Amino acid sequence: MSPIIIVGERFGERMNRRVGLILGLFIAGGALAAFGATPSAASQERSADLTAAVQAAVSSGTMIHPNVIATDNKTCFACHKGKRLTYELPSGESVSATIDEDKWLASEHGHQDMACIQCHTGISQYPHETGISTDLRSFVLNESKVCVRCHEEQATMVADSVHTKLLAEGNKNAATCSDCHDPHYAVNPPVSRTDVPATCRECHSAIYDLYEQSAHGEALTTGNPDVPTCTDCHGVHEIQGPDNSPFRLFSPEICASCHGDKDLMAKYGISTDVFNTYVSDFHGTTVLLFEKYAPDQQTDKPVCIDCHGVHDIIPPEDPRSSVFEGNLLATCQRCHPDADANFPTAWLGHYEPDPHKWPLVYYVTLFYKILIPTVIGAMLLFVLLDVVGRIRRRRQHA
Amino acid sequence: MPESFPRFNVSDRIEHWIQFVSFTVLAITGLVQKWPELGLTDTIINWLGGIETTRLIHHVAAAVLLLAVVYHVGTAGYRLYVLRQGKLMYPNMKDAWAAVHAVGYNLGLRQEPPKEGHFTFAEKAEYWSIIWGTTVMAVTGFMMWNPIATTALLPGQFIPAAKAAHGGEAILAVLAIIVWHVYHVHIRSFNRSMFSGSLSRHEMADEHRRELDLIEAGEVEAPLPPATVVEKRRKIFMPVYALIAIVLLGGVYLFLTFEQTAILTITPPEQVQIYQPAPTTTTTLP
Repeated sequence: MSPIIIVGERFGERMNRRVGLILGLFIAGGALAAFGATPSAASQERSADLTAAVQAAVSSGTMIHPNVIATDNKTCFACHKGKRLTYELPSGESVSATIDEDKWLASEHGHQDMACIQCHTGISQYPHETGISTDLRSFVLNESKVCVRCHEEQATMVADSVHTKLLAEGNKNAATCSDCHDPHYAVNPPVSRTDVPATCRECHSAIYDLYEQSAHGEALTTGNPDVPTCTDCHGVHEIQGPDNSPFRLFSPEICASCHGDKDLMAKYGISTDVFNTYVSDFHGTTVLLFEKYAPDQQTDKPVCIDCHGVHDIIPPEDPRSSVFEGNLLATCQRCHPDADANFPTAWLGHYEPDPHKWPLVYYVTLFYKILIPTVIGAMLLFVLLDVVGRIRRRRQHA
Repeated sequence: MPESFPRFNVSDRIEHWIQFVSFTVLAITGLVQKWPELGLTDTIINWLGGIETTRLIHHVAAAVLLLAVVYHVGTAGYRLYVLRQGKLMYPNMKDAWAAVHAVGYNLGLRQEPPKEGHFTFAEKAEYWSIIWGTTVMAVTGFMMWNPIATTALLPGQFIPAAKAAHGGEAILAVLAIIVWHVYHVHIRSFNRSMFSGSLSRHEMADEHRRELDLIEAGEVEAPLPPATVVEKRRKIFMPVYALIAIVLLGGVYLFLTFEQTAILTITPPEQVQIYQPAPTTTTTLP
């Protein structure tokens, strides 16, 4: 591990800190406390864990100052591993400040020889400075502010996400980096596909419960990687919510990215005509045109999820499905409240018309396929004869 | 000898130009909906201000066309019942022979072109095509505009079938106008009668030889009834047409307003608590 050396700049401030530090040391009986919070009862037993350097410094009365000495992770782990170290916040909530060193070393950050104080930048001395966070959630949000220093690309994407939007609106429940990526133990690549829903479930358990019961969720939880997990539809860092108009408007493309894949769908015997038949119908045509001309506007025409369900999508053959034959009318009536029993078959159910399924549509189409070339062909022939006749007569005249 | 032969009165010409405008607008705003993927569609829909505006314009133009139909029922009815001019418009065997004759003439099998009356077979073909086409478009348009009312009586499949017919008929109509109308009225020789209301002697000799001969012999193809008879029939026709017009206008109003097909808001597809922490875990820093 590479030691990090931070050189203090303001000597006067340092002197004041020293006074505080000496007092703190006396009060705590030479024990170290985590993050500069009020030392708790547990802190009394910590002195034994001090590294030799720390112990020597304390016993000799020399100031230990991380600003002027090299502070490597060893120094931190002297206190922060093994013991049940907690950090109490003014709100009364406490944070575990114990790190499993083995797991840390196995993590991506551990692999990269990251020093604790690279992220925990507010800590420059012992006892640690009192943090700015008054409650647990603020603490998590504040700690995550440092991630951008190394992960700028991801942070830029996150900046456009619904989570950032909600945080900016003052909703502290919205996720920040460390809610999904455990900074101490996360490995790279972070998680397998099947683990994604478990991460999102931490905050979105009601949605998870729906997803778990869906055709997609059921398959994923039994280890099938073909099906979409949360991030396949919502994105990873630039996660979008349902209120975002481009997200809803372009959602048929998300569905089509799998449901238009012939090889993938062949495995499950699912038609890949679903997207084309949707776009060629009134609803889909409108959505397609909105995508082209008004991508930031909402349309009241349905996208896939409006009929099939969102997180709880199940096959249309399932009697519980919103697009099961017997449930179609109720589904149509959500937007067409006056619709009657015949109304649902105005939608051809993603089938291309053929003589057996939808014969009327098929034969009307066929009728015009014959009528148009016949009539226009006859007209063209007649016009052509007239042109030829006129040219011939003009020549004869001349 | 007259040099100018009246053909279309002011009312006829106004009808034609209303038709022209509504047909053109309907064709443009309709075909872009039929082919949303086309590059030209991009330009047109952008220019019109989006698909919802495009549909609104299509509906307004449809309403104008329907009003023109109601008016035409009056002018045609007046000509048929009061003036007894029906034989001018009805297709007959002479028209069929004129078509065959014209082909023969163009192939050099005949020395003379067919001698045609007030309306040529080409004009009659176009007129009746427009009657047919407008009927198909109005019926199928009504079905798409009012799918709930339609499916209250007919199977749901009639709606996509109506859409197929509406699109097919539209292509047929637009191509027919481009091939047939443009050729006969603009390319072969520029027919100005829809501006001026009349044809020249030369044009009459070229296209309406039989009518010209009749006029020069002091006759007409469909003689007008005596003024007293016209007046008598007029008195019957006018109130009857007023009644028909009221019924038809009511029909047009219903056509436009019969149902509200869909609600105007977006129904959320799912009702679920978005933020709901997992019950089994507690939020602590690892």
